Amino acid sequence: MSAAPAVLGQTRSALTAAARELRASWSRTATLWALVFAAALLAPAALPEGRLVDLAGFVYLALAAVGLGYAMGLAGIPSLGQGAFFGIGAFAEAISRAKGGVPLLPSLLLAVLVAAACGVLTGLATGRLRGAFVAVSTWILSWIVLLVLTSFPGISGGAQGLVMPESRVLGQTLTPTAHYVIGLTLLGLALLAFAVLAHRGPGLGLAAGRDQVEAALGLGVPVARLRLGAFTASAAIAGLAGALSVELSQVADPSAYGPVLSFELFVAVILGGARYALGPVLGLAVIAGFSNAAEEIGAARGLPPGRLEEMLTGYGMLLVLGLGGAGLLPYADAWWRRVRHRREQSRAETPATLDPVDGPAPLAAHGVSKRFGSLEALDRLELEVAPGSVHALIGPNGSGKTTALKVIAGQLGADDGSIALGVDDLTGLPEPERAERGVVGTQQTTAVFADLTVLENALVGAGLRRRSAGPFRTFFRTPKARADERRAEERALAALAFVGLDDGADRRASELTAHEQRLLMIASALATEPRVLLLDEPAAGASAAELERLADLLRSLRDRGLGVLVIEHNLRFVRRVADLVTVLEAGRRIATGTLAEVAADEAVRTAYLGRQSL
Amino acid sequence: MSLVVQVIVTGLAAGGVYGIFAVGYSLIYRLTGVVYFAFGDLVSFAVFATLLVAAGTAPVSQTSLPPGRFLLALLVGLLLCVGVGAATYILFIEPYLLRGSTLGWVAATLAIAFALHGMVGAVFTRPAYVFPDPLPFDELGRDGVVSVAGASIQVRSFFVIGFAALLAAAAAWTLERTRHGRALQAIASEPEGARFAGLPVERLVALTFGLVGGLAALAAVVAAPSAPFTVDTGALLGLKGLVAALIVRFGSPWAAFAAGLGVGLAEAAIDNLRIADLGLGPQYGEILPLAFALGLIAYRSLRSEPVPGRA
Repeated sequence: MSAAPAVLGQTRSALTAAARELRASWSRTATLWALVFAAALLAPAALPEGRLVDLAGFVYLALAAVGLGYAMGLAGIPSLGQGAFFGIGAFAEAISRAKGGVPLLPSLLLAVLVAAACGVLTGLATGRLRGAFVAVSTWILSWIVLLVLTSFPGISGGAQGLVMPESRVLGQTLTPTAHYVIGLTLLGLALLAFAVLAHRGPGLGLAAGRDQVEAALGLGVPVARLRLGAFTASAAIAGLAGALSVELSQVADPSAYGPVLSFELFVAVILGGARYALGPVLGLAVIAGFSNAAEEIGAARGLPPGRLEEMLTGYGMLLVLGLGGAGLLPYADAWWRRVRHRREQSRAETPATLDPVDGPAPLAAHGVSKRFGSLEALDRLELEVAPGSVHALIGPNGSGKTTALKVIAGQLGADDGSIALGVDDLTGLPEPERAERGVVGTQQTTAVFADLTVLENALVGAGLRRRSAGPFRTFFRTPKARADERRAEERALAALAFVGLDDGADRRASELTAHEQRLLMIASALATEPRVLLLDEPAAGASAAELERLADLLRSLRDRGLGVLVIEHNLRFVRRVADLVTVLEAGRRIATGTLAEVAADEAVRTAYLGRQSL
Repeated sequence: MSLVVQVIVTGLAAGGVYGIFAVGYSLIYRLTGVVYFAFGDLVSFAVFATLLVAAGTAPVSQTSLPPGRFLLALLVGLLLCVGVGAATYILFIEPYLLRGSTLGWVAATLAIAFALHGMVGAVFTRPAYVFPDPLPFDELGRDGVVSVAGASIQVRSFFVIGFAALLAAAAAWTLERTRHGRALQAIASEPEGARFAGLPVERLVALTFGLVGGLAALAAVVAAPSAPFTVDTGALLGLKGLVAALIVRFGSPWAAFAAGLGVGLAEAAIDNLRIADLGLGPQYGEILPLAFALGLIAYRSLRSEPVPGRA
């Protein structure tokens, strides 16, 4: 067989390429963290056996806290249910092991699945709610888990709890040292995944959705799915941590999992800094410090356990909140930034140029109506945007221009009529799917993702065309994912270069001027490779020179085959860029044509232009 | 029959207190969008501060207190509740509201709850405390108990129901009929407009946090003598009030109060009644209302129009 050596050769070259890639991306920081991890693994040698149980227990709690960081930090979901998921994992493990006689590994898997299932259900049930209601629902969930465990001794073993059988895996008994090593490895993996994902693939989409939901949806980010995924992952990690922690302590205590634990984990995440991988671990360490101090004082004064700890945790949280509430790591990070200026990453000198549109198609709206109560915002609107043309939508304030744009983008549903791109019927499709098919809108207000860098903003848009950007591929940095990521970065840089923002692409978007932010919105939209671009007053607040540049940009987009629908008040600007103009009044189209034709129209003159000469 | 009467009266007495909490949660939520998680523990704090002023941390009995000192203690407890309610709003909640940080105010209200709970628990270490009755109900009936339709009922249960209804009416009246109330309604529906019209929005909201704290403290002080009060009682009362408020989606004072009564009745019925030989028993009395509220939230959420970006 002659194919075998060829396959081997391919594998070998792929492996060398991967090794080269790894060497190239390895940095001093990575070496530092690897050393820290190795040093932490050696801790059991220096500690007595009794302390080791505590330490392993801390590591499992830290794992749950980092899991909560996925929901709170990455997705911005205020979850007060992490203690409940931890308890659900713990009791799934305890019941299947102590009562069902299931071996350790399958029951661990079961515990994770049960916790993840509860996470999916909670995430689905609360996914449409605003933050306050998510907090309340997860809080109630924590109470329910506590009440169920404490009032049904038949399930939970009552006051003594469930005593676990000996923990054995593959004939080996799990010692506290083994638990510590397992816990630390899992914690390391969870931290690494957080760090890798926070600024790539799904993490970028989550950050975009956290800051500006509307803008993220407009760029085709599947915000709802990503949030559900982050919440489920967070619950599953808590379940795993809970299950392992009962194996460690050998007893499942029904009163240990509930609102108090949820609160402590929540505080740990905020105290340390929700958007930093290590934030939750640091926060939990501070709380553990409180709790040790509280235990010493409490024991000396003969207080019931836990009371002082709660009080100190509460005061600690209030102190941090009183100081501005950003958490410890963000403070440290801001200080570090002041001390040492961040270096710009070096990139290829000549960014790729924007590609011509792939498969241009006309956008057509037929008989589109939209009512808000008794107000007829759009009345049987007819509109067509040909590929390679700029179509301006003008009209007095309140004539329905922005509503028309939102209905076409899918941000608002139409009550009547149809919207199509070429032969593709878009009517009824949600916003991200329209973006996927090539109709991409920007917001009227400046809506950049302020926490992300300029490049990351554009990468959110470029993410729409990525096919290998799931959490697992992104985490394992598979060759496919890396190639995909490189292409996305090229697209993003090309879009930034097109609007003139490629210099300083590592700046935070919040540092840009208002006009630059509008350009960045356009760049993010262009990075999605749209066929039709919808712009709502892109020229608002621009200076004369900026207007000039913007007009050039739009004409250049037209020449690449893009259809552009633009709302604009500035008629001089409209005259410079628009091939066709549609005039709206009170939700109805009163004229379409070139600006000169429209200006000559009697209805337009009386409705709108009478006061302004063209 | 006698059991049914007993269930109804005890249920309404407990529910009246939940109702007052629900009125407080609703008012605060409608004004600010904040769910005030510290509410229950704030009331615990008021009750135990009253005990502290009245008799230190020693246990007290109905007759051991001089009436003057007890009255002073009640007043101090009430004022503390008002003061702490308003102060925590200004110091910890408002800054995060202004920034639109949900994580921030959730953390703040919960931290206040646990700080208060831990503080009370560190000072009052017995399992439970008797709260003396400010009014001499034990002189009515047989040691404060009367027989109605064959059921033995504490006289003060009727007082609790009536007083709670009176407080709810006062809250509704304040909201509808007074200048302060109308200003609050303006703030709730249009905070920016209210600010523009020259209303001192921050001060009015802080005042409301204080008043709502005082309202709940009154309700708790009225209810506390009915049964031993523990460090956790306030948090549990608060939780049930929150459930009631959720059921009516933080609605008007009367709706919230009615929901509180409903939760109280349901709890008493689940605890005690056997229908067709099927009894659930006390272990379900607390869980089922919570589960019901959670299910209701999920149901409403799934039936609602999808908010952009939410599942």
